[in-house]
Amino acid sequence: MTRSRITRAGWRGAAVAVSVAAMMAACSPSNPDASDDASGPDGGAADADGDDDSGRPAGEAGGDIRIGTTADVVNFNPLVGNSRTDSWVTNLMYPAMMTINADAEKVPALATDWGYDDDGLGAWIEIRDDMTWTDGTPLTAADVAFTIEAIKEESLGTVAGMIGALDGAEAVSDTRVEFTLNRPDGAFINSVGFWMPIVPAHVFGEVDSVAEFANDEEWVSAGPFVLTQVDRGQRYILEAVEDYPLAEGGRANLDRVVFRVYPDVNTQVLALRSGELDLIANALPPSMVNEVAGDDSLQTYQVPSLGWAHMQYNMRREPLDQVEVRRALAHAVDYEAIRQVVLGGNAVSANSSVLTPTYPQWAEEDAEEYTYDPDLSRSLLEDAGFTDSNGNGMFDDLSFEMVYDSGDPIIATWAELVRDQSAEAGIEIRLAGLERNTYMDRTVNRDFDIYAGSWAIIDEPQSNFTLLFHEDGFINYAGVDDAEINRLMEESATALTVDEAREPLHEIARIVRDEVYDNVMYVEQFTFAGAAGWTGLDAKPSELLSVVNPQSLASAQAPE
Amino acid sequence: MALLRFGSLRLLRGVFTLWFAVTVTFFLVRLLPGDPALAVASPTMTADQREKMLTDFGLDQPLFLQYLSYLQQLLQGNLGISFRQNQPVLDILMERLPWTLLLTGTALIATLIIGLPLGVLAATHKGGAIDRAVQVGGVVGQSLFVPTVGIALLYIFGLGLGWFPIGGAMASDVYGWDAYVSIARHLVLPCLSLVLLQIGAYVLTLRTNLIDALGEDYCNVARAKGSPERTVVWKHALRNALLPTTTLVGLQVGFLVGGAVLTETIFAYPGIGRAIYESVGQLDFPVMQGAFVLLAATVVIANFITDLAYGFLDPRVRVQ
Repeated sequence: MTRSRITRAGWRGAAVAVSVAAMMAACSPSNPDASDDASGPDGGAADADGDDDSGRPAGEAGGDIRIGTTADVVNFNPLVGNSRTDSWVTNLMYPAMMTINADAEKVPALATDWGYDDDGLGAWIEIRDDMTWTDGTPLTAADVAFTIEAIKEESLGTVAGMIGALDGAEAVSDTRVEFTLNRPDGAFINSVGFWMPIVPAHVFGEVDSVAEFANDEEWVSAGPFVLTQVDRGQRYILEAVEDYPLAEGGRANLDRVVFRVYPDVNTQVLALRSGELDLIANALPPSMVNEVAGDDSLQTYQVPSLGWAHMQYNMRREPLDQVEVRRALAHAVDYEAIRQVVLGGNAVSANSSVLTPTYPQWAEEDAEEYTYDPDLSRSLLEDAGFTDSNGNGMFDDLSFEMVYDSGDPIIATWAELVRDQSAEAGIEIRLAGLERNTYMDRTVNRDFDIYAGSWAIIDEPQSNFTLLFHEDGFINYAGVDDAEINRLMEESATALTVDEAREPLHEIARIVRDEVYDNVMYVEQFTFAGAAGWTGLDAKPSELLSVVNPQSLASAQAPE
Repeated sequence: MALLRFGSLRLLRGVFTLWFAVTVTFFLVRLLPGDPALAVASPTMTADQREKMLTDFGLDQPLFLQYLSYLQQLLQGNLGISFRQNQPVLDILMERLPWTLLLTGTALIATLIIGLPLGVLAATHKGGAIDRAVQVGGVVGQSLFVPTVGIALLYIFGLGLGWFPIGGAMASDVYGWDAYVSIARHLVLPCLSLVLLQIGAYVLTLRTNLIDALGEDYCNVARAKGSPERTVVWKHALRNALLPTTTLVGLQVGFLVGGAVLTETIFAYPGIGRAIYESVGQLDFPVMQGAFVLLAATVVIANFITDLAYGFLDPRVRVQ
């Protein structure tokens, strides 16, 4: 009897063990030595050994850097993919012609020189002559011409919206590409140079449709690293390319870059503190910055945003079409309190200007932030004829709904401050925190009174201002329609130098501030975190470039 | 014969349930505010680009035509192409499914292995210290919030004690036996969090039903015949008390799968739950639909098996 029971229990235990083992077998990978799946790059990749959880001894030459990201790569085609992680991974393989420096100016990367013809109807870019793809094919101006033509023909990604002035592109030599423009566009070269990743014409030109090309295997790179292994949901492994002339010494210092996916930022920070990660690619939430900054085993990198956080007032609705009401709303908010309390000081004032201090070449030196003055707000509203008939301190018929993305903890927090402070000025604000897609839908359809949000990157005011303030601009949520601004935008867009463009841009910024077309509240300072002791890492402005941009990772070195 | 008829009816019901889930999912995702073009729209995108995107996705067609075309695809085993990844949805999901099955399957097995004896122990020591501890623990476990439990486990056992890795499903560059060890080490904490969250339901259900069964006449008869208490509990009472618990397994599979979305997110586990989480943010309709169909199928199959098991355990069910 006892033996029988033991036997039965044994069978049950064995069945359970076999079930779990079978499920584990379905998940475990096959050895790449037995297949062709993970062959190294033809450029002669570094040896791929080590275990990213094993805590490989630091200080060895080369080695891995393990980087945390919050999302998977969505699309490996750099002309289509537009998530942060897409860019971080593909930027390491498909070089841009320009990058930006600490003053947010466009500086050479693949390109060496560029300029416009005198009439503004032609532009040219010279590129380096020493770059090759990992399959041995030289990277030439023909790749640049192919890339921009493919974008134009198939309306690909964000760059398609920047090349409205383009008629055609031609590689006139291996290193020079010339563009024919149908109108002068002073932002054209910078936009294309910075935003357009160059893809190999001999690979992308072989497919029927670049838009539908998944580019999910056998990657060919002209960056410092090339993707060799993808475990969706887990990690993306890139190996160093032997020949990368943009790096000191002609090659990245590291052997491998391993992006590991941690959707939850709390888990990500725990992994960094435990030594399972060396770096976190995404910016830390301000609430975590102090905690991380106080940990001696970690180091932080700070860079400014290339955009700004703001509120916009729907001018197609009464009474927000009255400038006095918009001014009253602008003066009802204590911006410094928001920057200090909600963002823990990790933000700077933009002086209520759409030309923010991140861009010294454009910034308005004499701009002044809207003062926090509830009494001024009240008097502005009284002058505009608003009354408080029941004496409860709140103006009659002055109640606004403010929409924002409830998934953004920073804005969700300061929205409450704005509501409470506005009440001091007698203005009622009703908060509507919405799921992101709902929020996007309502803002694009201008179904709101007040919109609270942020721009990630506004890097070329000459062209971007048209999107923001032209009557038909895609992100002109406030409904700005101002003839003088239209004239100034035309003037600045066709200016071919910074000096020529600066004056009309300053005038636009002044009008926007005076008329409260866009209430710029602050420029966030992003903080990135990594393990202490790493050298060579070079954080660049914005979360898009972060500390994982190609220049940074090519020069990164593990702690001694 | 009765069992065959019983099984056929349950199968038919399962197919109908699946069709219903597919239909509701199809229309539900299209009722979401915004559209997939807007979800990835960048400020520089032109109106023409956004229109073209919707046309490429087939979203410019009348809704009913989209639905018929989707059903047709589905009957051919085609879940469509992801809007964002340009890859077949089936490939994307099949890459993730083994991890979710491993996590939820292991959690279910561990829950039953630990939970059933605990339920028996509580029922046979009714009113005692063990019983009270089990009841309190069961209620507390059911009240826990996944992210809180997850972060606490990671903090204590990952960062503090260093016993288990923080997040992920396995280390890279490990094969053979090392891969199994790595998978097992990464599995412990997410599995434990799911076990903690669901074990209370099993323990408390079994305890209540076993206490009732132990008071029934047939148990008293068994005792009167001189059967030892262990035989009365394990042979006579438990089989009847297990019936509601079996139903619970079918129901809890749905909870497990739902719970896995958050668990997989906190523990950076690469399962279907994560794919849902990501596709909802991107309004990637084909992936959302595919994942829901797969999950609905899992729940339907689990319930079908539960129904069959019920039929085996209780002959009265077959006849009804």
